[in-house]
Formats: sequence, structure tokens, C-alpha cells
Amino acid sequence: MLFKKNVVIPEYYEFFNSVKIVSGYKALETIPFELSRLGAKRPIIITDKGVAQAGLIKHVVDSFAGTDTVIGAVFDETPQDSSNVVVNQIANVYRAQKCDSIIAVGGGSAIDTAKGVNIVITEDTDDLLKFMGNYRLNKPMKPFIVIPTTAGTGSEVTMVAVIANPEKNVKMVFTSELLLPEIAILDPRMTMSMPPKITAATGMDAFTHSVEAFIGTQKNPISDAFATAAMELIRNNIITAVTDGGNKDVRLAMANAALLAGLAFSNSMVGIVHATAHASGGVCHVPHGIANSILLPYGLEFYIGKSDKSPKTKEYIESLLMHVAGPEVYVQTPPAERAAKSIAVIRSITGELKKLCGLPVRLSEAGVTEDKLEIIAKTALNDGALSFSPVEVSYEEALKILKAAY
Amino acid sequence: MKAISEFKEIVPGKKWFETLVTRVFFFFIGMGMQTAYRIDPDVKKEVDSWPETFSFCMSVVGGPSMLMLKKEGSFQYLGEKEVFYADVEMCWKNITFAYLVMTGRISVPNAVYHNRQFVRGSLLYTMSIIRIMNVVQTLLLPNFIARFYIKEVPKLTFKKLVNRAITYVNIGYGAIK
Ligand SMILES: [Fe+2]
Repeated sequence: MLFKKNVVIPEYYEFFNSVKIVSGYKALETIPFELSRLGAKRPIIITDKGVAQAGLIKHVVDSFAGTDTVIGAVFDETPQDSSNVVVNQIANVYRAQKCDSIIAVGGGSAIDTAKGVNIVITEDTDDLLKFMGNYRLNKPMKPFIVIPTTAGTGSEVTMVAVIANPEKNVKMVFTSELLLPEIAILDPRMTMSMPPKITAATGMDAFTHSVEAFIGTQKNPISDAFATAAMELIRNNIITAVTDGGNKDVRLAMANAALLAGLAFSNSMVGIVHATAHASGGVCHVPHGIANSILLPYGLEFYIGKSDKSPKTKEYIESLLMHVAGPEVYVQTPPAERAAKSIAVIRSITGELKKLCGLPVRLSEAGVTEDKLEIIAKTALNDGALSFSPVEVSYEEALKILKAAY
Repeated sequence: MKAISEFKEIVPGKKWFETLVTRVFFFFIGMGMQTAYRIDPDVKKEVDSWPETFSFCMSVVGGPSMLMLKKEGSFQYLGEKEVFYADVEMCWKNITFAYLVMTGRISVPNAVYHNRQFVRGSLLYTMSIIRIMNVVQTLLLPNFIARFYIKEVPKLTFKKLVNRAITYVNIGYGAIK
């Protein structure tokens, strides 16, 4: 059979997402209207220094001109690794300035911080620890708008926030549908100033989200639709986004891809690639997108090697070729070679990105030392993403993947 | 149209059989975990890595539950104690889901993939708990049945058979007590 059945209806599945999406040129200009629709007229803007210095906040502030919506405050000091201390600081500003809604502008850190602020304000507390974990939140939250400035994490449509607690030395993870913003706004102006290497790394994070969602254990027709659209957008745009960052159409396409991938993976879940990437980040501070980009082909090879345990996963990797390479390549590749070809195509994309902007393709190029591989493997085994891996992963297997990628 | 007084509330029926089966399985799992902590070094290592007092609960929304408590070097099954706060709670969304899983009609990994259950509380220990549950299931069930419950059934060894026997004795003892 030339084409495998790609869309499979699972025995049972759930898909959740309630975010309104506004995408396009001058999309920011809808913010005041969207706020009024939510009954809010005094938002706080939460962002980081980098975003402010790049002049991006000006676009957001300017979008309020000509309306009667007042910006209560702009907090532009969110650090790279956000913590409960900053969250409480921002909450104090929010209260002092009598704000009634939250706008997050930034990458993962600013967005997660804003989610934390929303918890603190809604629950009227200064202790985030009490609400850590899954489903510990009950109250409806403040109106919340997210404007991503990277095209990768998909945080604008995911229900997770990770915030550090330096006192207790823990990474607090919060998961709840209530953390989803009401609105996500994709405006190409907001991602245009991203440097090539970050564009590549965040784009590969989104690519990994869509690939892992497509082969994931909770995949379903809805997540598949989003994941495949994301893969097509990324394969057609990621190279140009790196070489021609000023191209608005390409930037908007990548922002859409990241959002689509976010919709897909937050419902279909990620697996071994993210588990090992999270661990590499935790132990050796490898940036998330770079870790994913390096580990994606090795994770897929691992799944193929375990095809006796999960033959379905191998079939999905074969079908993946259609989406990572396009229909021509898919049809020209004999079925038995499709799985390997999918991985080869992904390697050719990361190889190209390496040439263009120095994106690492091996862990050794990304600051990981060989003596750390064992601890990374151990950490990966405790990563929640593994509970959604289609096959059981042992310590030795995790180590083997990491050694191959080293 | 019907008169307003004709609209009556409907009290939910009782799924007594499903509830009973789930209760029995919760008891087996609870006693299994308590025993596994004593005889299986891997389980002991996992539990010892948790905070000093730590509670884990498995429950059905609006139905039966089981509570495990780690305290002062023991890991105890406390039965259907009223739970106000458990560090980690694994909830089945409906008694029917729990019943279908307990009777092997839906495998545990599949139930997780389907989202027929959810975890409330800290995510730091979820993987650890899943590993323990895998050991407990191999302790409780013959391999050909365990296949329905976990992703990969480990090889059967003599030691495992002995451990399984100890577990059954303990469960029997717990049942009489
Ligand atoms: Fe990611």
C-alpha cells in the first residue's frame, strides 16, 4: 500500500483548548478590544529586559493609543530563570497599580511568570508552593493575554507553568486548564528581531513538539491535524526564518507553527526526546530548543529499535516522512525505508541549520561533558514526559541514546 | 409542555458491583505496596527517596479510595481513610473506568494515554510511583495477566515467585485482620 492510514481514531481521547487565537499583521491592535470583551481595562504588562530593550514593548504600548484602556504598569525585569520572588514582586505592583488583567510579552520565562502572578493574585496568596502540581487550582483566573516573542515553546496555548523556588531549591510545576490564557496574539513584529541561532533553536523546539505529538501515545485526529500543519509550516519556513529574519510572512508562519505544535503536544504529550532534553537542560543548562534539536533523531532511532515492543510507533515514524519531507519524497521512498528516511530528513534540516547559524547537532558541542551523561540519564528517567513514552525506557537505554548523541 | 412540578430530580444509581470490585483491587494494591516496601529493594529505594512524611492516594471521583502513608520508616496502607490532602492523588474520572482497568479490559498505560485518570498534586514523584506500581503488579499477577497492565513485563525469576507468595500471604493476613 502506497499510503498508510494516517488518521487514526483512538478508542478514547480527550482534547482541550480554550484559547482564542488572533494572528496577523497589526494583530496587537486588537488587544484593547479583546480586554474590553473580557471586562478588563487596566492590564499589567509582564516582560523581560531583552524584550524591552529590543523595543518590542513599544509595539504593544502603541496599540493602546486612541483607546480609553490604561496600562496599569509595565514590569520589564523578569529574569531568565523566573522565581516565586519575582512573581510576588510583580503581584505587589499589580495590586498597588490596581490592575485587573495580565498581558505577558516574551518567551517561556515571562509567560510562565505571568501565569504564576495570575495564581498569586487569584488565590490571594504569597505562597505559590501550596498550589504546586496538577489540578491544585480551582478559582477562575484574571483575564490573561499572551504575546509570544519566540516561535517555539507554544506556552501561549499550554496549561503548564514552571517557576523556580530558590529557597527550597525546587522547580515548581503547575498544571491546570485554568492557566490557559483567554487570548494568544501572534504578530510578526514581535518575533522579527530574534537572532538566527535562537530562531533555529526555538523553531526546532516547535518541530520536536509536532513530531513527538504526531507519534505520541495520546495522539488523536485533532492533535494530528495541528501537528501535521505545524510540521509543514516549519519544513517550508525554518531555513528562511534563519537566513532572512526580516521576512514578515516567514516569521508569521513560524509563530503559527509554534502555536499549532503547542496545541498538539499539550494534548498528545511528548516522550523520550523531551525527557532527555529536559534532563540535559537541568544538568548541563543546554538551552531547551538546542537539546531537542540534537536529541530528536536519536530519540526516533530509539523508538525504531524498539519496534518489536511498539510496532505502531514505527508506523507513525514512517508516516512522519510525509510531513517532515513532503508528499514527493514520501511517494518516492519505498515503504521499508520511510522510517529511516524521516530521520535522515530531520538530520539534513539540523545539519543545514548548523551551517547557517552554528546550531549544535551533538551534545558535546552544546556544553555537555561526557562525565555528565550518566546523571543526565538518571534525571531523564524521572521526567514526567517518560510516562507518555510508548515503550518503557531503562537507565541503560537512556544512557545509550545520550552517548549516541554525544 | 409538561407542568413545572412534573420535572423531578434524578438521584444517580449505584454501581455496587463495579464499586465492590474496585474496592477489592484497591485493597490488593494497597497491601501489595506495603509488602513490596518490605521485600523488594527497588521499591524500598524509591519510597525512601520521598520526603519524610508523604501520602499517596488512589481514588475514584465520588467513589472508593485507598491511602498510602510513608512515615517513620514505614510505608503503610491505611485503607479508605478520609483524605483531605494527599501529596499525590491518582484519580479515576469515573468508577466505570476504574472497573474496566481493574478487570484488565483497559491496560493501565492505555488508561493514562486516554486521560481516563488524572494526577492531582506534585508531579515530582509520579514516575517513582509508576515504577512501584509496576513492581507491585508483577508481584500480584502472573506474567500472562500482568501483560495487560504494564508496558513491559520483566522476566519471571524464582525470587519473584517467592516474593509473590509472601505478598499473597500478607494480603491474606491483612484480609483476616
Ligand atoms: Fe519543548
